[in-house]
Amino acid sequence: MHIRLIRSGGLLGVPRRAEADTAARPDGAALEKLAYEVLTAADGPSPSGPGVPDACHYTLTVDDQPPVEFTDPGLTDAQLRLVERVLGEGF
Amino acid sequence: MRPPRPVCGILPPFILEKLTEADNPHVREAAHNTLAVDADFRQNRIETPSLVSPAAPTEFVLDRTLYDTHHTLALPGDLVRREGGDPSLDGTVNRAYESLGLTFTLYKEAYARHSIDDANLPLDSTVHYRRRFNNAFWDGERMVFGDGDAVVFNDFTISVDIIGHELTHGVTQYTAGLVYQDQSGALNESISDVFGSLVKQYDRHQTADQADWLIGAGLFTPQVRGQALRSMREPGTGFDDPMLGGKDPQPSHMTHYVEGDADNGGVHINSGIPNHAFYLTAVAIGGFAWERAGRIWYETLTSGRLSENCDFQEFAQATRDTAERLYGTRLELESVVKAWSDVGLSVH
Repeated sequence: MHIRLIRSGGLLGVPRRAEADTAARPDGAALEKLAYEVLTAADGPSPSGPGVPDACHYTLTVDDQPPVEFTDPGLTDAQLRLVERVLGEGF
Repeated sequence: MRPPRPVCGILPPFILEKLTEADNPHVREAAHNTLAVDADFRQNRIETPSLVSPAAPTEFVLDRTLYDTHHTLALPGDLVRREGGDPSLDGTVNRAYESLGLTFTLYKEAYARHSIDDANLPLDSTVHYRRRFNNAFWDGERMVFGDGDAVVFNDFTISVDIIGHELTHGVTQYTAGLVYQDQSGALNESISDVFGSLVKQYDRHQTADQADWLIGAGLFTPQVRGQALRSMREPGTGFDDPMLGGKDPQPSHMTHYVEGDADNGGVHINSGIPNHAFYLTAVAIGGFAWERAGRIWYETLTSGRLSENCDFQEFAQATRDTAERLYGTRLELESVVKAWSDVGLSVH
């Protein structure tokens, strides 16, 4: 599974991107489980509107599936764990 | 002869129009006058954002409450300090508490504003949000601060201007309601930078030429090649480090305006243009920036005349008109006009 995660917004406003091939990672199985969980939960429409000031916006793309968007605050535990594993918390 | 009694109250316009044809000349005159006032009122009401504050109270009430999510997502978190309570053992809580107070004081002393909504809204804030979280934001009800990862960012309560920045998002929400997208979003961001910087300048008692005009100085760890998130004096010079994706991308002139979808249309990028216009205005006027330059920006923001999708041109023109209304055709007006011209926007 190929995972691409983009963070935009935030107080700094500089985007950050990270990609992960689960086959090449020791935590690949756990990552795939998390990604499935986030994709499955995202069967509704993506959040609309500009969101709250300075919040982080995330765009997740798994393989060739349509991108899924989510935003802070209000991340689910699965979204947060995926963000932390793929992007890390810093730059 | 007694003066005519004003025709006022809840009469609809068609009745007032009928009264302008009355036989009694006093009634006719009063109806004409009332129609004129009524038209102004209705126009203002249409143009005024729905969140405009009620009439300001006379007392200034500072009411801070600090919460702690203990590195989780669970907002608002546990209550850790109330207004007037003993300091916490946690320095982050105390820094946020003090900076909330400083921001309240600037708005009170410089603009007679009663908290965020001008109606003494309590100031709530949450610290220790998420784990090693590199951000701070205003969620519509409270300020939320991360601890930073200690690799790139320090604790986000370190910078008093960041706390002023976040609170000012609340002021904008309750006044002009600038939509957080494209140019109105960049203005929303810029206004937060302007008053965030003014909170710091007020705290340090610095004049415009003494201030550093940096947003978030001290937020970067020593490993980062950068002085701050943004510079209002020289947009584009905040940082230059691969850990941050390269160089600070802020423009200072309309010729370098950045188009794009990310970051709500570059709200943190293009804010460099109005940021620089404010800096130029403040330095040209001289003295304490929160006094005349700050007043022009504050009165413009709270006038009820800006549209929610206000672009740079509309805002620039509005600041020019405010400067003229407040100060006439003097240094202040010339400074505003020249500042906007220097960033590529012409106002008349």
